[in-house]
Amino acid sequence: MSAPRLNTDRLVEVGVQAEVAHPSHSGTYSVDSYGRPIILPGMAGVVANARVGDLVFPWAADHLEPGVSAGNPQRDRYQALQFLACVGNVVRVLSGPAAGAEGRVTGKHAFVLVDFPQEALDMLAPGDTLLVRAVGQGLRFLDFEDVAARSCSPALVEGMGVEVSADGRLQVHVTAEVPAFMMGAGLGMSSEWANCDVMFTRREVVERLGFGDVRLGDVVAMHDQDHRYGRGYRAGMLAFGVVAHGGYGGVPGHGMGVATIFSGPRERFEIVRSPEANLRNHLELAA
Amino acid sequence: MIINGNELLRTALVGDVTSPVMGVNPYDVTADGVPFVSVGAGGICYTVRVGDAAGGWAADQVEPGASIANPDPAANEALLLYACVGNRVTVRTGAAAGAAGTVTGKHEAFHAYKHVLVHFDPDVLDALVPGDRLLVHACGRGMRIEDRPEIACHSLGPELWEAWAATGERLRVTRVLAPEVVGMGSGRVSGATSVALQTGADEALDGLRIGDLVAVRDWDATYITGYHEDRVTVGVVSTGDSPVLGNGPATTILLSGPAAAFDFEVDAGANLADLLDLG
Repeated sequence: MSAPRLNTDRLVEVGVQAEVAHPSHSGTYSVDSYGRPIILPGMAGVVANARVGDLVFPWAADHLEPGVSAGNPQRDRYQALQFLACVGNVVRVLSGPAAGAEGRVTGKHAFVLVDFPQEALDMLAPGDTLLVRAVGQGLRFLDFEDVAARSCSPALVEGMGVEVSADGRLQVHVTAEVPAFMMGAGLGMSSEWANCDVMFTRREVVERLGFGDVRLGDVVAMHDQDHRYGRGYRAGMLAFGVVAHGGYGGVPGHGMGVATIFSGPRERFEIVRSPEANLRNHLELAA
Repeated sequence: MIINGNELLRTALVGDVTSPVMGVNPYDVTADGVPFVSVGAGGICYTVRVGDAAGGWAADQVEPGASIANPDPAANEALLLYACVGNRVTVRTGAAAGAAGTVTGKHEAFHAYKHVLVHFDPDVLDALVPGDRLLVHACGRGMRIEDRPEIACHSLGPELWEAWAATGERLRVTRVLAPEVVGMGSGRVSGATSVALQTGADEALDGLRIGDLVAVRDWDATYITGYHEDRVTVGVVSTGDSPVLGNGPATTILLSGPAAAFDFEVDAGANLADLLDLG
């Protein structure tokens, strides 16, 4: 067993400006999978009491984005932030009472999701400015040319303990494996943009498929999914991602969001099931 | 099967013939990572017609016939919600003024356009130009099937219902598909949208034609589109196939409800071109 060879020394690290986004609302109800009108929180702003490492589902929330949701009010800058930020990147607070606090990118959705120490989360407010030290797009596994890394920092690969097995496969620890028929909103989009929802919008489906113990920040495998150049169904392909957003209060076709980190042919990988495969451990996130 | 036809309103909505739009960088990327320039959505397509193969075109989700939208975004939302497949369309302005067409589907692209697709005879298409104003005689929103209240009706005009489902107890579709065929389009408002069928996900999609009526099992579109075991959604294929991952022929939502409420007859001829006599 050895660590996979990466082109880490060829990657450039870029400072990207962001700010804590303010929640917004259409002013009308959406509809959940039981046909009920719903208005639920979860997206944008600061969620101070649901963090990476917590369970995905037992929250009265829709698209629950744990910690801080970082955006940029200028559309072209927002797109740069979306495409350049990678899971594991270091983020620093630039303004407000939490200035100087340091966090890590833990996922993507409509915003770039950042975990900070609890003390900082309790002080941060929409409008506070952030600096993302973006590095990772362009990452390659040098001995696995048909495996594509997407929004994955070298620090994440190292933290995950990805290793090359004796028979030449990338050994990846995951907490769960997602069947293709559960993949919903996010298919058809760019691999790097936001994430892809696993359609857990009803408690009975979560229980039937055995996903009740999945946590925000878990590394999961997605079967028959090709996430190299966009996201879609392809038999025999595998995609890996981190659970970025959660909550039970789901609009149909949405659910638990998984941000893509790498993808390739099934035979390039050895999947190991492990309950410890979570970003809280991999990125050594502060309490 | 009987619908509440005498309760349905016929309302006037306006859409203009669109012209294709592009960003500064013209390249999209295929599933295999090859850059390509997208052709086929927006404007007028003279080549591809309802009834033609969905696959095999050098195009990305080609829209057959005339692609229309209202330039006001809120009015366009209403156009997308109220226009129903089978509805009559009249050309109001330009060289083709007075000509009649038929709504054949809808096509939504994420964070981009939302189009209603209209079939015209070839001589009318030749006379149409982008900007020509069309009147859609919209009818179908609010449709219910009298003895099947558990079925939600969406972009289904009474004209199509009469030709397709009014007689006989079984509903004709060309194929019943597995839920993993649905790609982009999960989580959208059922009445105003289309969802993409990933043609590589189910062999049953071989030979698919634009205008084909299809059913997807374990899939619900009562309000918003998404996975739901033991429910079924029926739609009509509205565009051609796509080389982009997670995409494919856009399929407009017609009906959705519990699987037990449907009795399908698989009929390869269940296509709009025949049902609505689109020449």
